[in-house]
Amino acid sequence: MEKLSRYTLMFIAIFVLSIVVPQLYWTAFEVPAKTPFVQYSCVNHDFLIYRPGEKKWQDTKGNEYTRDEYEQRLPLFFFKQLYTSGTLPDSVNNQPLDMRSLSREKSFFRLKTADIDAPKNNLFPMFESRSGRAMLEWPDDFFRITWRIEFIDAATNKILEEKSQMFSAAMFHNGFVFPAKNIWGISSPKKSVDEGYFIVDSRDQLFHLKMVKGKPFVRKIDLPAGLKFRHIDCVDFKNRTFYAYLFSEKNEIYILTQDDYKLMRWPVNGYNPEITDIKIYGDLYNYTVIMESPGEVKAVVLDKNYQYVDSYTETWPVREDTKVGKIFTSVFPAQISLTSDTSKFVSFYFNLSGGFYWLVLNFFLVILQLIWLYWKKKIFRNHVADLVIVSVCGVFGMIAVHLFPNKFYK
Amino acid sequence: MLLSVFYKEWLKTRWFVILYTAMGIVAIGYIFMALKHSFNFSGTRSIWSTILFQGNQFYKIFKFIPLAGGIIVAIAQYLPEANDKRIKLTFHLPLGENKALMVMQAFGALSLLVAFFVFLGLIYFLGLIYFPVQMVWDIVLTVLPWSVSGLSAYSIVSFIILEPRWPFRFLYSIVGGLFLSFHFVHAGTACYGPALSGLFLMSLLLITAPLSSGYRFRKG
Amino acid sequence: MNNAIECNNLTHYYGSKRIVENLNFQVKEGTILGLLGKNGTGKTTVFNILNGFLRPTDGKCLIFGEDTQCLSPATKSRIGFLIEGHVQYSFMNVKQIEKFYSGFYPKWKPGSFWEIVKKLDVSKNQKISTMSWGQRSQVALGIILAQDPDLLILDDFSMGLDPGYRRLFVDHLREYAKSENKTIFTTSHIIQDMERLIDDVLIIDFNKVMVQSSVSDFLSNFKRFDFELENDDVELDNETLIVNIEKVRNKVELYTYSSERDIRNYLAERSVTPINFSQVTMNLEDAFIGLTRKY
Repeated sequence: MEKLSRYTLMFIAIFVLSIVVPQLYWTAFEVPAKTPFVQYSCVNHDFLIYRPGEKKWQDTKGNEYTRDEYEQRLPLFFFKQLYTSGTLPDSVNNQPLDMRSLSREKSFFRLKTADIDAPKNNLFPMFESRSGRAMLEWPDDFFRITWRIEFIDAATNKILEEKSQMFSAAMFHNGFVFPAKNIWGISSPKKSVDEGYFIVDSRDQLFHLKMVKGKPFVRKIDLPAGLKFRHIDCVDFKNRTFYAYLFSEKNEIYILTQDDYKLMRWPVNGYNPEITDIKIYGDLYNYTVIMESPGEVKAVVLDKNYQYVDSYTETWPVREDTKVGKIFTSVFPAQISLTSDTSKFVSFYFNLSGGFYWLVLNFFLVILQLIWLYWKKKIFRNHVADLVIVSVCGVFGMIAVHLFPNKFYK
Repeated sequence: MLLSVFYKEWLKTRWFVILYTAMGIVAIGYIFMALKHSFNFSGTRSIWSTILFQGNQFYKIFKFIPLAGGIIVAIAQYLPEANDKRIKLTFHLPLGENKALMVMQAFGALSLLVAFFVFLGLIYFLGLIYFPVQMVWDIVLTVLPWSVSGLSAYSIVSFIILEPRWPFRFLYSIVGGLFLSFHFVHAGTACYGPALSGLFLMSLLLITAPLSSGYRFRKG
Repeated sequence: MNNAIECNNLTHYYGSKRIVENLNFQVKEGTILGLLGKNGTGKTTVFNILNGFLRPTDGKCLIFGEDTQCLSPATKSRIGFLIEGHVQYSFMNVKQIEKFYSGFYPKWKPGSFWEIVKKLDVSKNQKISTMSWGQRSQVALGIILAQDPDLLILDDFSMGLDPGYRRLFVDHLREYAKSENKTIFTTSHIIQDMERLIDDVLIIDFNKVMVQSSVSDFLSNFKRFDFELENDDVELDNETLIVNIEKVRNKVELYTYSSERDIRNYLAERSVTPINFSQVTMNLEDAFIGLTRKY
């Protein structure tokens, strides 16, 4: 039993060291890789790249620009700055520019991997879509969907039966099969208009639900066979062209057009929700999809009809391939983190060092341990398990073995 | 015989356990009293929305209560044993030394679990008065890793108190402290789900920790 | 008669410092044996090994045939340990401590406990922590006797006690041991108390047993002769005849296992004429000091 106690303590120590030591190492030595900022210039018909680390503004051919020249070539992005400095052109590509259209068409959307891999809300506010008031107001109740939809009055913590039955019946009559698998919407009154929620039922059918003058509005959206969504992010863009960006389980990107509910797939490949943060910039002429993954940025430009225009990809060494990273992988067998940039969950994120160079160090540590056993005149067979631990866990195992000395033998 | 060991542990810890549990209950009572106050002054709907969408943890004063409990019970149980090496009296008893230590550990762990069960039960049932069950479960999921930290802290502090060598006590305190900090990583509501079972399993395994220092104590 | 305690080739080092080396001794059942030795000769080490709180570098000790490093609960129930300083669980009161210990020993005799404890001027609800050292020692004695052990191992039973309590200990222990043929293995820094209690003595010195015999045999065999010298320059050193000699100017204390005649003959051979030659009757303490030297 004492051996179990010792091995438990050693395991905990190795666990702690695998988290803390690498963290300290990166804090001390990591050099940040500054992601280039990529935008599509409708003036150059090319991508422009701003490199924050070097403070350089370039195009894809390597031509450098000053900051002002750069901003001039992105009038749809920097229109407010150009307007302020009096350098906003009257037109671009023979098309006149006005502040109102520029402002209406400008949109920005961002989705991080951690936004997807996060705890799900189970209660939502159902705003009144047509209150007649200038600003949206918080309702006094919140809804959840289990075997039916239930509205719970916050003040009393009781179910509003009439409202719940009314909405449940409406959903049922529209073919909704309870319970809901996912509910997506903008749960804040800080939006120009309320468009309710998009809900996936237990049969992976997609519905649009909102409240109009106190009554339920339910619309079933036809989906191609087999299409399932990993994530739907509702948007509140001034141009009100579509309700949401939809991300399928096959990592395709769709939009759902406003009012006619057309599901349109964007010709964008390479999105991996497990490692890719996505930003979508909309302007007067284009949509620019920027996909940032460790060591890579990919930009895809679409026109306003969602047709492919151009793309650009740039890579750089990931942290583990830098000099500092190579030293890391030679010394430490693995790293455990409790948090991750790609998730909001606290978990044990285990990262085995690639390359196996750390095995060389482990081998030397085993030799060192053998020398120590010989010097201290220990009996070899009593310490075999310790040697195995050192050979596998390397530096962490070596520390643990000496932190909890092995004296448990007859 | 085991009941006699339980009896000894109860004599050492009873007032600490009772007072600690009472204080925990008072703290939870205060949390819900303050919540009601917030409801009255800011409106229930407003508080619900901050809890649901802005990560408001109105119960955060509970965060370190289980940890404190683990430390208090460990000190109450093992400091009298370490003083003048009185644990030798238990080791002399006609009972296996490891069995005696495990029974002592079982007592401490059980009293803590009972206290935590009371706390979680109170939070759950008082929560249900004010919130739907989905929100209450999120609260419980958030509070659970803090409770697990109490169980781990108990075993770690017991182990350190029994450890006879001061330099190692210092090192173990550092490792133990770092391990406990893993239960309080800055995260949103109900984010500990995946790590919780692992941490709980480790806290159960750690109950055996004092056997190691007890063995070193015995062998000189 | 079986051995209650046996130590075979006992060796222990603290780092590179030798404490005991190849020490061998036995304690037969039914004996009351006292362990004596100068400071640093390993008495505490031997007790710690017997108590199971120290693993020897080499060799082993057995109690009732079992290795002291892993005594079974059944064997432990036959042993009454007294820890140096009469250490007890001071958070308990008298009633609680009796209730606690009684749960472990099937042969528990509450009468033995209360008989001793009622001599104390304390209530049943008085905490051990509020008692004087002497009162605590009495509680400790009561617990040991109530266990009805076959072997008592007492580490310095007289520590911190005034003469009254020391006498109480000795009287009770001796009566207990003699009436029920129990074995006692003890040490004390107050040798007069030991002499009242023990029948046999074991005197150790690092790696050897200097004496293991009955006290009476030891005291009759080991003698002290006092005399004065005419000439205080004379060196007297015969390791066969003389165990120890203390000489202050011309006054000599000579310790030996030899007879008076052998000593006188030796002195005559050395042309030494002793003045005021006499044999001095020694108690155990005198004999111990004579055997092991003052310094």
